[in-house]
This record gives sequence, C-alpha cells and structure tokens, in this order.
Amino acid sequence: MALSGGADRGSHSMDKSITLPPDEIFRNLENAKRFAIDIGGSLTKLAYYSTVQHKVAKVRSFDHKAKETDGDPLYEISVQEEITARLHFIKFENAYIETCLDFIKDHLVNTETKVIKATGGGAHKFKDLIEKKLKLKVDKEDEMTCLIKGCNFVLKNIPHEAFVYARHADSEFRFQNTHPDIFPYLLINIGSGVSIVKVESEDKFERIGGSSIGGGTFWGLGALLTKTKRFDELLQLASKGQHTNVDMLVKDIYGGAYGSLGLTGDLIASSFGKSATTDKEFSKEDMAKSLLHMISNDIGQLACLYAKLHNLTRVYFGGFFIRGHPVTMHTITYSINFFTKGEVQALFLRHEGYLGAIGAFLKGAEEDNPNQYSWGENYAGSSGLMSVSPELNPVQRARSGTFDMLEMDRLERQLVNLPLLQDPTSYIPDTVDLTEDALSRDYWLFCFEDALDGVVKRAVASQKDQPEAVERAEKFRQKYRHKLQTLRHQPFAYGSLTVRSLLDTREHCLNEFNFPDPYSKIKQKENDMALKYYLKVVKSVEELSWEQRQFTLVKGLLAGNVFDWGAKAVSDVLESDPDFGFEQAKQQLQGMKTFKLSHNNDKILNHKLFLTDK
Amino acid sequence: MELNGFNCDGEGCAEEQEEESTALKLPRSKTETTCSIIATPGADSAAAGGSAPIELRMSKSTPAMLRLDSLKKNRPPFPWFGMDIGGTLVKLVYFEPKDITAEEEQEEVESLKSIRHYLTSHTAYGKTGIRDVHLELTDLSLWGRKGSLHFIRFPTHELPTFLQMGRDKHFSSLHTTLCATGGGAFKYEDNFRTLANLQLLKLDELDCLIKGVLYIDSVVSSGLSECYYFEHPTEPDRCEQRAYNLENPYPLLLVNIGSGVSILAVYSKDNYKRVTGTSLGGGTFLGLCCLLTGCSTFDEALAMATEGESTRVDKLVRDIYGGDYERFGLPGWAVASSFGNMMCKEKRDSVSKEDLARATLVTITNNIGSITRMCALNENIERVVFVGNFLRVNTLSMKLLAYALDYWSKGQLKALFLRHEGYFGAVGALLELTNPF
Repeated sequence: MALSGGADRGSHSMDKSITLPPDEIFRNLENAKRFAIDIGGSLTKLAYYSTVQHKVAKVRSFDHKAKETDGDPLYEISVQEEITARLHFIKFENAYIETCLDFIKDHLVNTETKVIKATGGGAHKFKDLIEKKLKLKVDKEDEMTCLIKGCNFVLKNIPHEAFVYARHADSEFRFQNTHPDIFPYLLINIGSGVSIVKVESEDKFERIGGSSIGGGTFWGLGALLTKTKRFDELLQLASKGQHTNVDMLVKDIYGGAYGSLGLTGDLIASSFGKSATTDKEFSKEDMAKSLLHMISNDIGQLACLYAKLHNLTRVYFGGFFIRGHPVTMHTITYSINFFTKGEVQALFLRHEGYLGAIGAFLKGAEEDNPNQYSWGENYAGSSGLMSVSPELNPVQRARSGTFDMLEMDRLERQLVNLPLLQDPTSYIPDTVDLTEDALSRDYWLFCFEDALDGVVKRAVASQKDQPEAVERAEKFRQKYRHKLQTLRHQPFAYGSLTVRSLLDTREHCLNEFNFPDPYSKIKQKENDMALKYYLKVVKSVEELSWEQRQFTLVKGLLAGNVFDWGAKAVSDVLESDPDFGFEQAKQQLQGMKTFKLSHNNDKILNHKLFLTDK
Repeated sequence: MELNGFNCDGEGCAEEQEEESTALKLPRSKTETTCSIIATPGADSAAAGGSAPIELRMSKSTPAMLRLDSLKKNRPPFPWFGMDIGGTLVKLVYFEPKDITAEEEQEEVESLKSIRHYLTSHTAYGKTGIRDVHLELTDLSLWGRKGSLHFIRFPTHELPTFLQMGRDKHFSSLHTTLCATGGGAFKYEDNFRTLANLQLLKLDELDCLIKGVLYIDSVVSSGLSECYYFEHPTEPDRCEQRAYNLENPYPLLLVNIGSGVSILAVYSKDNYKRVTGTSLGGGTFLGLCCLLTGCSTFDEALAMATEGESTRVDKLVRDIYGGDYERFGLPGWAVASSFGNMMCKEKRDSVSKEDLARATLVTITNNIGSITRMCALNENIERVVFVGNFLRVNTLSMKLLAYALDYWSKGQLKALFLRHEGYFGAVGALLELTNPF
C-alpha cells in the first residue's frame, strides 16, 4: 500500500527553487504529450512522451562491383534528420511540485494533450493544483495496476534491470541477465504497508497477501522511539546502531546456541526483548537498528511463506522502504537468505522508483502501442542508480540537485532473442563484466577517458562546415567525462558495466549533442578505398593454390581484426603512423607471438576470431 | 542401581521400569488406557462429565497390578517439580501429594515439608512470584499418587532469589532430580550447581511443550475444559468462548507465544517439526510498551492496551482509500500500516499511551496470526492451538487471533486455546522425572 500524504514535509517548503536549470531536467517539453504523474509520500514522478529530432549517419551508397578506375565514390555516408520517440521520467521531491508544474506550463506547446494520468497515494492531494496549473484533467489510475505495468515494462526493456544486493561482496550489485520470459514473479511492494502481488502475465496479476508491518511502521514507530522525524535520518540512525543491545538473542536465553534446532546464538529470539526485561536507557541508534531488523525480517519471512505457497522463485522488492537504500536492501536480502536457506534470492530493480509513473504513462499511451516497440535506456539522459542517494554520494547529491531522470528511446526495430541461440538465458554477449572486475574497470575507464580528446577532435572534424560544432563537442566532452567519473565511483549506475555499455554511453552522449558519427568521414574514406581494392584482392586470392589461399585468408582475417589487438594498442599505432595499412597490419602479425596483448583483451580476440567469417 | 536414593534391584525390575517409562511417555494413548499408568479418565467418565474424573484407571488384570507394584518402587522421590526457564518468565509446576499417610508424614524430612508448606500455603512469593490458583489441578493421580498440581511463575531475572531460597531450604539434601527445560536450563545450569548445589536434568523445550500439552489435555476433560475456541469470532456481539474436544488432535499446528514465537507442526505424539518462528512475540509487545509508555510489567501493558484505541495509531485501508480497496478485496477497517499514522507529527502528539499500547498489541497479534495462517496453508493443517504466556489474561489477543484466522481463511482455520497456556513446557519437564539420565 502506498504511503499517502502522511509525510512530515509541510507546505512551507513548497517555495524551494530548482537548483539546476530546469530545461536540463524537463527536456523536449516543446512537443511533449501524454503526461502521467505518480505522487508518493515524499517523491513525485512525472512521465511524458516526446519526439526528438536528431541527425543520423546513414550509408547512402555501397557498390563493390564498380571498377577501380571509376571516379565516383563507391561508399557514401550522408547525414539525415530523423525523428525518434523518447520517454522521459523525472523524479523529484514533492516540495518542488509547484515550481515544476509552473515550468511545465510555461514550456508546454503541444495543445492536443487534454488529460494527465495520475496515480500514487498523493495524487488526490495535488489534484486541484495540477488541474489549475496545467489545465489538464487529472485521470486517476489504480496504483497497483500501474506498478505492475511499469514493472513488466522495465523487466522487458531494460537490460540488467534486476539485481541482487550483496553488501560485503566485491561488487555490491550483481545484475541479472534479462530473462526472455519474465513471468511468473512475485512483487513485494513495501510502502507504508506491504503488498504481495503475484504476476502471471501482462494482464494477469493478483494481490495474494500483504502485511501492515512495513515502511510506515518503521517510520512511525521509529519516530516515536527516537524522536527523529525523517525516514532517511531514521535509516542513518539504524545503520549506526547495535541491535543486540535491544533484542533478546537466542544466546541471551540459552547462553549459547539452541543446538538441537540449529538456531545459532546470535539469532534474534525476541525483538525488543531486552527492553522488556532490563530497566535502562537505550540509544536511539540501537532502537532504530532493532526496529529495522524486526521489520525487514518479518517482511522477508512473509515473502518466503508466500513464495513457497505459490511456488515462485523470482521475488522482486520495491516501495519507498527499499528505494535506493543499501541498508534496507541488505537487511531484506539477509532475511530472505535466512528464511529460504538461500533457495530464493531477493531481487531489486534499478528503476523501481519509476514503476508507478511508467505504468500510469503506459495506461494513457495505449493508442501509441508503446508495448509493441522495444525501448532502450538512454545513458546520456538518465541519472543512473543512486544518483541522489545521500548516504552513498553526498557530493553528487549536492551537484545534481534532487532530480533524478530516466530517458528511454524507441528502438528502430523490436528486439528479440537471436533464434539461433541454444539458450538465450545463459548467453552473455559481454566477456568481461567490469562491474565485478575492478582491475579491468580501471583500465577501460582510463582508456575511454584517454581517448576522449581524440573523439572530440574527430567530432569537430566530422562537422567542419558547422562553426558551433566546437562548442557542442566541448559539451559532449564534459558530459561523457562526467559519466566516466560517475562510473568510476558507481560502476553499477547503469547495470553491468561493459566495454559495450561504455561505447553505448559515448554514442548516446554524442547523439545528444548532434554528432551522429564522428568517424563518418574516416569511414567514408577508408571504406571507399577498401572497396576499390576489393576486386583486386578477391582475384589475387583466387589465383593462389588451395593451401596458400587458406593461409592468406587466415592472415587477412587476423589483420582485419586488427582492432582486437586492443583499442588502445591500435589507436597508438594509428596515431603514430597515419599510413598504417592492411599490408603493415599483416606484417605485424608475423610477430604475433611476441605481441603483448592488452589487458584482458585476449578473450575478445579469440571470441571474434571464430565468429568472423568474411 | 541407585538413583537419587531410590533402590531398584533385579533384572525383572529393570525391565518393568523400562516398560513403565514407555507407558509414561505415551500419555495420550487413550485406546490403551488399561495399560497406561498416567491418569486418563476413560471415555465413559468423560462423557458422563463426573465431577471427580481424575483418577487412576486400572483394570483388574494382573499385569497392571504388577505395574503398580513396581511403580511404587520406581517412583521418583518427592518433591516433584518441573521447570521451564524462558527468556522472560520461569514457569514452575509442583505436584503436591495429598494422600500422605501419617507414617509417611513422620518420615518426611523437614526440608521437604517446608518446601511443600511454603509453596501450598502462599499464592505469591516475594514481590514477583505468583501461583496461578485458578489453574491448579486437584485430585490428580500421578505415578500412583494423588494430589494437586500447582502452577507458579516468576520473572527469569529473579532466578538468583529462587536459587537462594533453594539453598536456604536445603533443597539439595533431598537428592531429587530437577527437571528443567527452556533456554535457561542451559544458560543457568552452572548457577544451579554453584549457587544451590543442584544438578539439572536439561530437557528440550519443544519436546516438553508437546508432552505437556498432550498430558494436560488428557487429564483435564470435564468441568472447565482445557481446550476452547471462540464461536462466531467475526461477530463481536455473538463471539463466545466454547469448549473444544481435542480428542483427535493430529495434525495440529502448535503456536507457542513466549518472548518469541515458535510454530510447530505436530503429526503424532512423537512426530513433530518446528516449521518456523518469529522474533515478534510477547517480549516485543512488552519491550515496545515499556519504551513507548514507560510501563514495566505485562499486566500494566495489557491494562493500558484494554483502554486504548489502535485506530488512532494505525493507518487503516479506509484512511488511504476512503473505504474498502475493492480491487483487492481489502475491507476499509483492515490495518494498512501499523503505526502508519505516527509518521505525522500532529498525530504523534495527539495519541495516548493507552492507544500506543493497544496498537502494539494489535500489531504483534495480527502478525502472529498472519504468519500462522501462512504456515497452516503451507503445511496443509486446519487446526491451530495457541499457547504461551503472551495469551495469559489476554482475551483481546485471543479474540483477535480467532477473528484473523477465521476471516482471512474464510472460515477454513480454527484457532484453539488452552487454559494452562504458558505451563506446558514445565509440565512436560515434570513428566520426565521418571525417566532420568
């Protein structure tokens, strides 16, 4: 059950001003339509649909049959304007709601929008304000339905959406591969109370149970016990406390373990049991910690009982109690492990806070059939996990204000699993998980940062005719560098960090500043050249004896994969010798045995060697 | 072989003893009443509802006579105690023989007499020890002796006082075995030895609990029924306590609510498993009440809870949805968030201590009901017996449990209660007296 209105924030804080230029937050409002809003106890989530016009580099002509002697270019790239659909989701504190609505009103151009879908416990409280400010009719949607719709959407569309949390492991976040079939699953939503929902298909779900002991109990009881008002502060207190001072443990009763039942001495036998038998003062921290354990264990136990009864193993946790709080994710994970003896893993979602807003949006956008397309997370426009988590990154919080964003782009084609894959669930396209491998992570982050100047240079060069390209390229540099810095501290920000995701992030950032392909000019030149040589090479290969031909093909193949020597190694070679060509690459291969492979790149090399078949 | 000053010689005797003790372990085997030594009124007397039903039922057959004969010899020496040392309370049961002959009385050592008189002539011991007189079982036959079973409790932190008393009354000179269960039997074993020179026979608490439940239920079957339930639990005006016949109890979910909670699935008298437990139990109720209201005893906390109103503290479904949440069949009166209203400062300032005590009681009770219901479903058991001292004089919680189980299971589950709610572990321990070492 969602938290409704009970928050301690008074209306006195309504006049807070936005700390960032709001046009960097509410982007593309000019053609925004289909608004949805999810207002919780302390956070508001706004969703809208927009279209983005941007440049794309496309191959205009490709001719490998042409004669070498022809003067016309054989390979041509042209830059075209294209329009893509984008979904915007913005999360901010309820205190900013009025300021935000004003901003939207001032920038909203599109007039076809008549209604705003609304959900969340606070929706009714702000109904009048929204209708007055935006002149849109507020259309309420059922909270749970929105939540489930949103959950299905992120599970289907966002890779590495779900993760397992392990506080003391090398990487706290272990992201799960996207399962082609997301159903059935259990969603435990911990708002002020707890709802336990079994989801069987896109349209079929059932609230199979719940509990009144939830986030509201932690907050309400915690406030009574510690005189601390804010939820975040209570969690902070809890993370500093010792529950063993307040709880009665098995060893307090037994003197040690209860051996015959396998109950260890450190287990809690009775929550707050010591405060019943000892007449002394207890510290706020200790009581908050004891309360946190009591509630987390209780929810975990019920979740396990329901999972067992309905024979479900995928259990996702959400709600404001969980939302981005390592403390609660840890205690819930601990509880689930304890009660299922490790058979069920507690799963959390990167975009859990947006589920209601996404669902409400989808409800209102049904005629656009958003569920028929594939949507990809835009790394340039999304804040990433824990961007506003004060306990994790206070500096970051101060810098980015309290706004968190998620943007999703509609992909050209619907994504499906490659039908040739034997087992799509176990297929992992990326050989190195940089989230887990700290050494490789440092290496690759360094590589990308090191190469940034070069990319900026090429980006400017690719648009020589446009004088403001320099300025845009500089903005790109700042944005991408900031992303790299974020990933250095929070490698988990966008799911599993891989070389591929670093490249994607760079591409998204380039696109944002209208650089569809900084390499387009080079590609055009090189491919044109390659096509000119193509017929000659084919002919010369055909003239060879069978055995010779095989050697030549293999050598050519390896030389063609020269980039797999390691991006950095290659760029070093290319930078130092601009005329480095195919023949030189083949020459280099002679020394292959002594060629020092870049860190961790051997896997990629082998992988590609067997796949490449030109 | 000499056990606690009691002589047993001859092989035949040893065999007899073994057989007897087996019989003693099977207190509930009503079909075998003729060979059961433990007092079990036959089906006939139970049906007749006689006023003095507790008697040793014996057939005139020779083997039984032999057994009685050997029982006399094998009988443990007085005093007969069973102890359950929990996290919060110590439960003590004491069998007071009422059939002492003049000759016996003369032989009775002074310390034994003193203990008997001290325990039976008082209803309160020190500031915190209490004898639950209303639970006393009179005219009970145990191991061939007639007498009364007394039920005494005191806080676990008063254990040193108890040990001092044992020392003052020269308890150790009686060479009796002190059967004890509960965590304290393990934790305080050394204290018993060093402070009172007493050797404990430590027993598993869940074994004792089940033995105790089955035994008490078997010896109490008329007059005030041991087992009861609430008829029409969902209609407060018609809700009434009714006797329940626990004759074929299996399978049974046994929920013991002490400081913490243990939930057991019992399939037969010696086949059971601990399904799960929760740390939100009686200790949590009292602990939170102490912190929230400044009270210091269970009875105080309970008295406050009786006066309070939990809906001022809890956020109900109707507080959020204005009424029922029909989409999911949640009635408006259901609690959506325990203590949920306390997120708001104005409401925190306006609630009374009584309200807070009531909300704590309701929260803990509902949660136990909820976990119990899930266990019953998972184990496919329909009958649930709630025991433990959390339920002592706590009709509020009992009715709430009865209500919750009935409502959420749509009448499938039945909540049962036992009059001697917190004493079964101690009774189970007492029954082990004939089976020492």
